[in-house]
Amino acid sequence: MLKNYFKIAIAVLKRRKFFTFISLFGISFTLTILIVATAFIDNATSDNYPEVNRDRSLYITSVQEKGLKNHSQMNSPASFYYLDRYVSTLKTPVKVAISSFYAVTNAYINNKRLAINLKYTNDEFWDVFQYKFIEGKPYTLQQINNGEHVAVISEDTKRDYFGDLPTVVGKYIEADNVQYRVAGVVKSVPVTMPLSYADLYVPYTVSKTDYRQKTLMGNYTAVMMAATKADVPKMKEEYAAIVAKIKPDDKEYDEFISIADTYVASFIRNSPLGSSDESGISKLVMAASIFLLFFMLLPTLNLVNINISRIMERSSEIGVRKAFGASSSTLVGQFIVENLILTFLGCIIGIIISFIILQLMNNTNMIANMHLTINGTVLLYSMAACIIFGLISGVYPAWRMSRLQVVTALKSQ
Amino acid sequence: MISHLFKLIWNKKKQNFLLITEMFVSFLVMFAVFTMIVRAYNNYRHPLGFEYDDVWVASYMTPENIQSDDSAALFQDVLRKQLQSFPQVVEAGFSGHNFPFAMTMSNSMVSSDQNEGVMTNFYNADDNYLKVLNAKMLSGRWFSKADDVSKSPVVVINRKLQEELFEGKNAIGKYIEYGGDRLKVIGVMENMKDKGTYTPVENGLFKRIDAGAAKWTSNILIKVKPGADAVFEGKLFKALSNTIGTSVEIEHMDKKLTRQNKLSLIPMIIMLVVGGFLIINVALGLFGVLWYNINKRRSEIGLRRAVGASGNSVSKQLVGESLVLSTLALLIGLFFAIQFPLLKVFDLPASVYLVAIALSVAFIYILVFLCALYPGRQAAAIYPAVALHEE
Repeated sequence: MLKNYFKIAIAVLKRRKFFTFISLFGISFTLTILIVATAFIDNATSDNYPEVNRDRSLYITSVQEKGLKNHSQMNSPASFYYLDRYVSTLKTPVKVAISSFYAVTNAYINNKRLAINLKYTNDEFWDVFQYKFIEGKPYTLQQINNGEHVAVISEDTKRDYFGDLPTVVGKYIEADNVQYRVAGVVKSVPVTMPLSYADLYVPYTVSKTDYRQKTLMGNYTAVMMAATKADVPKMKEEYAAIVAKIKPDDKEYDEFISIADTYVASFIRNSPLGSSDESGISKLVMAASIFLLFFMLLPTLNLVNINISRIMERSSEIGVRKAFGASSSTLVGQFIVENLILTFLGCIIGIIISFIILQLMNNTNMIANMHLTINGTVLLYSMAACIIFGLISGVYPAWRMSRLQVVTALKSQ
Repeated sequence: MISHLFKLIWNKKKQNFLLITEMFVSFLVMFAVFTMIVRAYNNYRHPLGFEYDDVWVASYMTPENIQSDDSAALFQDVLRKQLQSFPQVVEAGFSGHNFPFAMTMSNSMVSSDQNEGVMTNFYNADDNYLKVLNAKMLSGRWFSKADDVSKSPVVVINRKLQEELFEGKNAIGKYIEYGGDRLKVIGVMENMKDKGTYTPVENGLFKRIDAGAAKWTSNILIKVKPGADAVFEGKLFKALSNTIGTSVEIEHMDKKLTRQNKLSLIPMIIMLVVGGFLIINVALGLFGVLWYNINKRRSEIGLRRAVGASGNSVSKQLVGESLVLSTLALLIGLFFAIQFPLLKVFDLPASVYLVAIALSVAFIYILVFLCALYPGRQAAAIYPAVALHEE
């Protein structure tokens, strides 16, 4: 029977090519936008290079001091001293990466200026984030403790600073008015990952600001990695317990707050949507769903309108089938299946178009080093969107059609 | 005529309901798109109010050994002198973190005798700031050495703040209340659009960097001679790094402006592309549905032709029907759109919303008219004999 439906659907599609074109255009375009948007979101939130351990990691990106009297509060990244003293000593995390937010500085080479993003890190940074070393290796704990001026640079920096040299390990790079010896070169990270992105990674001990200063607030973030995914809640609790014991530096404030979050939550909590009480993910999901609803409303309405016209055109066929005893539900089923076939066709076209668009974005390097792909999850979501689309735009016209009286349907011929 | 068309539509309200909803949603989409465009265009029309060519910004972290206010002021003097010793440097002035085209913002509430609670940007600037950016004073004067001994803190405000805080009257010599302090206005300057080409003019209040504020100001605006190149920049960078001792960054203001403008333009381009495709989609859909509806009414049209209606009046009727239909949709849409200026959503001037509403109304009418034109023409070409024969 499905085979029959399929044949009928194709015949109908061929009959009024203009309507078919409008329907397919609407479906495929809507889907293209959805797929491209999901590809961006997926790229930003899933475990991509080099942050492959996100599922068993917790991020500490900010600390907060709150004053209860006049509702004052202060937010800032943590200090190295704080993270080293309270976070590195926790028992559950197997590794704790501590690094500064990248800061821009300049390098001058061949009378050209190069903006270099500089990041200070500890040694476990290289274990938590799995960078791919094109040559050389990370600096060691020994080198960090000795305060050696060694650096790991990104592939882009190697190309911009050294040109076409095959190997640069052991060579010197001058940035921020300091000479660093290159220890390794890593594959570049897109700027959309602020915790692992930088052009030049150097030991925290060579930082120009004093990392030993005994304050809570500073310019550093930490990523705690647990042994397994199951240990993550335990790690969160352990951190919360230690935070509860800490008093703010400043006498104006009464409360010290810091929360270890998963990667996505750590960003949303620092946005206007989040607060120290809730991460704001639910609010974001809500806002996104409302936007999505509005965005899909117009193409759906359009499709419903067109479907009604097309179905009413077939009133004679419906009349004959009804006269020979087909039930309303059979007819509704048939039209929904037909509509799903149409949406699937649109879906395939949409996937092809989005594939081309994403390839174009990747090839033109619109966002440096960002590689957008359509993976299984994205495909699954778009298929789901397709089915919803097909059902919604098919149900109402089919229902209206099925209520046609046999007599009117046949007479209107 | 119109009431007759309305009756025709009312008779088929069920069929027309979906069409109206579609037009209504398209109106809302166009309203959003036009609001964005009108806002950006309005902002674009205002002059920038200062010059950014050949202005560089050096940002650094204040060294930790500078603790007292006096040593910070002294340190700034040293830097200023060092910069001025370069022949390529025309002028150098200190600024807070929210120098033009920076991402940082700093604002607070201020009030005057006339007005309470006006939000304004707070800028920290030194005596050379105005000259570096070549901004214009409207009345009064910019800061000078003489202000070192002034009893109350002195400020310069921009024209917009004068309008909002002092109802456009001369503000010179008057006082502004700010968190218990009384700030004396010594000058009014022309508005500076310091966040980018497509961003609105905002209230601005400039405070003089005194000894107490010196510790917190660590950005230097440097006006260089045209043609100063990377070689000189490298030299400058080295010299500053050696004097300051912490991390230094030098940026060019024209590059910063490009980046700021990109930030305002990219969402607009995305909106335009998405909105444009949605509208093409709707237009094709409307066209198809109208065409189909008209074809279904062949017998009715044939009858009208047979009793003497001209082809023109038939097509007029059909186009008119579509336009009445869109009027219904627009009325519902207007009800929602008018809430934006009434409730002051998003803090935009009412004129932006009104222009956007007018544009989107016109747009929907034109769209529907164009979509109905061809089907209407087709209907006019129906021969009564053929149409009635089909029945």
